[in-house]
Amino acid sequence: MDKIIKDFKGYFIDQGFDAIETDHERRGFHLEVVLDANQVRKFAETAYELGFYLVFVAGFHVRPDEENDTGNSGLEVVYQFARYDRQYRMKARASVPNNKKIPSISDIYQGANWHERETRDFFGVIFDGHPNLKPLLLSEEDADFHPLLKEETKLKSLKEISWTSEAPKVAEKEPETGTSS
Amino acid sequence: MLESEYQEQNRFFLNMGPQHPSTHGVLLIVLEMEGEYVLDPQPVLGFIHRMHEKMGESRPCPGFMPNTARMDYVCALPYNHGYVSLIERKVGIEVPKRAEYIRVITSELNRIASHLLWLGAYLLDLGAFTPILYGFDDREHILDILESVTGSRLTYCYYRFGGVYQDIDDKFVEATRAFIKRLRKRYTIYEKLVTKNIIFIKRTENIGIVSPDMALRYGITGPNLRGSGIAYDVRKNEPYSVYPEFDFEIPVGEQGDCLDRYMVRVREIEQSLRIIEQALDRLPDGPVRSKVPKNIKLSPGDCNFAVEAARGELSYYLVGDGTSTPYRLKVRVPSYSNLSCLPELGRGILLPDLVSILGSFDLVIPEMDR
Repeated sequence: MDKIIKDFKGYFIDQGFDAIETDHERRGFHLEVVLDANQVRKFAETAYELGFYLVFVAGFHVRPDEENDTGNSGLEVVYQFARYDRQYRMKARASVPNNKKIPSISDIYQGANWHERETRDFFGVIFDGHPNLKPLLLSEEDADFHPLLKEETKLKSLKEISWTSEAPKVAEKEPETGTSS
Repeated sequence: MLESEYQEQNRFFLNMGPQHPSTHGVLLIVLEMEGEYVLDPQPVLGFIHRMHEKMGESRPCPGFMPNTARMDYVCALPYNHGYVSLIERKVGIEVPKRAEYIRVITSELNRIASHLLWLGAYLLDLGAFTPILYGFDDREHILDILESVTGSRLTYCYYRFGGVYQDIDDKFVEATRAFIKRLRKRYTIYEKLVTKNIIFIKRTENIGIVSPDMALRYGITGPNLRGSGIAYDVRKNEPYSVYPEFDFEIPVGEQGDCLDRYMVRVREIEQSLRIIEQALDRLPDGPVRSKVPKNIKLSPGDCNFAVEAARGELSYYLVGDGTSTPYRLKVRVPSYSNLSCLPELGRGILLPDLVSILGSFDLVIPEMDR
């Protein structure tokens, strides 16, 4: 199993992607890849060639990084891929540039078509090259309403919602016990 | 008149749904037709969209439990299972063995109930009225059994972080064993009534063939994928709970037509019965709920948990920020990806075949719209 994981990781690094191995027991996936917006299509093509299927495309909203000039729209897009033949799941994340545009992968993975429309509905990310970027789950009248964008006060920076290096054992440190319902 | 002009004149649009009987809920499919042939079927979603993800992000994590059962109301317990397991993985909660066994037993019972409902409803789509009566008769027994422990018949909220709400008793075990015996006797009835029925075979064989490559491009999972011959099941592929302890098979089809998808589901019922039988035989003693903090804090970072629901792979993706409310909660539902191949699959087929394909996909609309 370990050999296979290293294989994929090495392959992606050779292709010029920033790939990090992750703990499946703790996080639910084996590989994390951080992409530039212009790498998204190349990554999807590589994943398709290797035989991964697309699990989902989703977005999330963070406080824009002031130091970063190009990628500070505050929107992030997450792609998850997995395999039919063995246990392997990977997550790729890309920051959306200022113009809120990110390349569409719906011609490589046709299943991304609806996921990207949904992400546009909820966050207002514009998928460049998408054949039909109309509202899917929300109504046509609400094309400019993006319900999952957070208020300014509730926004957190990407660093605040990322894993820290030490193992999180929040539950055990809590002195009070009881049952949740 | 030119042939292209003739074709242009004979094209028309037909709205199938949102109240069409064969869409099982509020799904609209806009069909571009030429005579009785479908040129371009475009599903229109969102009629029952409730923004479950926003609800998950605006309340502490235990408050989202009832929502999980209201996405796929036909097979709600795997949705419970995925969510509690996600939080348990994120926070690091140990679950007692007995609780995991109870989770597996009830989830598999729910899967059988879902497949029986699908079987009846699919045959109803194809014009056979009787099978749904048999299907609902058997399903009723499961609902009674599940009601005795969960307290509800459809929208269960039975699992808790670190266990289940309450223990099962001898009466539950007895009723479940009796049900297994009963359902096995009923196989012959279903076989005579449906599986060997020539009209049924004519309506499903070689219709709506999903190739393995097509499945990969659309992310199709569950029985719809296994019908195409790929033995992918999250219970085997990415084992969770106590599934590795049981001996069961993954039924697969050959060419991925409607008949294969039907056969896969029917054979899955038997595999689920086998899992339940083994779990009842080896049911360990002990507590059914572990101590968990009253105020569950979700540490910063993301986490994913996938389970096998009745329709395919269900994935919860959570981003924590140190509070008890998830910063982001994404629910990946199987029907959504499964249906997304319809515009490609339904091109150039007859309208009655489209009804057959839609039924064979086992769609639950509230799950897709969330």
